[in-house]
Amino acid sequence: MLKLVNVTKRFFPGTINERVALDDLSLTLHEGDFVTVIGSNGAGKSTMLNVVAGRYLTEAGQVLIDDRDVTKMAEHKRASWVARVFQDPMAGTSPHLTIEENLAIAFQRGEHRGLRLAVTKAKREVFREALATLELGLEDRLQMRVGMLSGGQRQALSLLMATYAQPAILLLDEHTAALDPSRAELITRLTGEAVARHRLTTLMVTHNMHQAIELGNRLIMMHEGKVVLEVDEAEKKTITADRLLEEFSKIKGASLSDRTLLD
Amino acid sequence: MIIALEIGLLYAIMALGVYLTYRVLDFPDLTVDGSFTTGAATCAILLVSDVPIALAMIAGTVAGMLAGAVTGLLHVWGKINPLLAGILTQIALYSVNLRIMGNRANVPLLRIETLFSGLREDQLLGTWISVALFAVVVFAVGAMLYWFLGTSYGVGMRATGDNELMARSQGINTGVTKIVGLMISNGLVALCGTLVAQYQGFSDISMGIGLIVAGLASVIVGQAIFGMTAVWQAITAAALGSVIYRGVIQIALNNGFNPNDMKLVSAVLVVLALILPAWGPLKNLRLRRRRNKALMEGASA
Repeated sequence: MLKLVNVTKRFFPGTINERVALDDLSLTLHEGDFVTVIGSNGAGKSTMLNVVAGRYLTEAGQVLIDDRDVTKMAEHKRASWVARVFQDPMAGTSPHLTIEENLAIAFQRGEHRGLRLAVTKAKREVFREALATLELGLEDRLQMRVGMLSGGQRQALSLLMATYAQPAILLLDEHTAALDPSRAELITRLTGEAVARHRLTTLMVTHNMHQAIELGNRLIMMHEGKVVLEVDEAEKKTITADRLLEEFSKIKGASLSDRTLLD
Repeated sequence: MIIALEIGLLYAIMALGVYLTYRVLDFPDLTVDGSFTTGAATCAILLVSDVPIALAMIAGTVAGMLAGAVTGLLHVWGKINPLLAGILTQIALYSVNLRIMGNRANVPLLRIETLFSGLREDQLLGTWISVALFAVVVFAVGAMLYWFLGTSYGVGMRATGDNELMARSQGINTGVTKIVGLMISNGLVALCGTLVAQYQGFSDISMGIGLIVAGLASVIVGQAIFGMTAVWQAITAAALGSVIYRGVIQIALNNGFNPNDMKLVSAVLVVLALILPAWGPLKNLRLRRRRNKALMEGASA
């Protein structure tokens, strides 16, 4: 379970460039929730994921994972519970390490890393089995360096690395946006499968309205650091992209006219 | 030329240390110039104080590890740029090293029992037997480094140097990992210092000057020649690079250059090794930098 309570995050506080990225944001994900997040650029979607992952620390508010307060916990410690897949296919893997070495790192997430060999025969079998679920033939290329793989293959590997150790929270940050349509479709399908297999509590940012509707059981729309629209499970089954866009322009228009009034 | 082989093998241990920081951690560590002398000075002063050889060498190695820890702390907790952190430790060590040697610039090991006394008495130094012995030692150190880089901790260290953001998001404490890496690296460099001091029969305050260039030359020349794909290849390349580097220096000396020219020769050699293989390590490094930069921009956008 993930809980954000009145979280505020400012960039460049105290300067003329100060920007409020998250504005008193509250959000709760229950066990097994798969929430898709949409919103325009600068709405605070990625900032929210970075706050959950611990890359950014907040000015105010609390972050709770399974009722544990992790607000001030460093990113590498939070990794015991939080896994993520980034937009950049290069970001989630280590290019000069082999496929099996990357997997060894990921399968040990949150565990003590000692002086035992990272890759053993027994582990290789586990890796092979896990890679076979991707259906990309990577299970026969364990000793290939990850830098040799294509973007789609690397993103599929990142997804496997994020989901295999069954994190309490899975964060997906527009993780199909940098891929060509067929690869994006593959990753979307693999994401659905992985989340369903482990019933992962997931927060997914996307720019793709159809993907936001297709995946997950809840949907939220963000604007200027706040959640401006929540679509619950029942409503999400019937909602269309057109309706979402309509809501979106309504909210955008409203905030514009607010500003006009202030001026 | 056998002497050059011997010296090359001795310095190969330092090259392995430099490989660990420069290549594995992507951290060009200039502490080396200071920590090499720290190892030599600590070992020499203990030897003249009748401390057993093994103990003196261990003390020298530990002193080097501490120097590496200082650079690591300056960088990780002080957020000081890697190059600057290394230079600061290196310059501070100059004073520390003089203190270690009792405020003298030189500690001679005349008539002192050293690791090489036996070989010297049996007139085996400068023969193929000593070369073989040295090669075995270098092989053992290289094998240990290879084993370490294949352990869970070692793979985490390689990921830290390769993609730090990924390493952290996988739960690796990249700060501590870097400090540990710098300690191991400077421990190897200082160990090399203890060996060189005993081999040449003295410890001198200036013996480490410019040594980082020799270390980089070994790693870069080795990789330019032998390639750099797998870890064991890179380790072998660094060790052999050291031998080749000393060979080139020897050839230069035999061809009219004098010992004072050697720093210039070293620098030119490194520049050539960096520029010539445009397809080589430098290119990979640039690509990685560019990717990291793009990532940082992506994260802050």
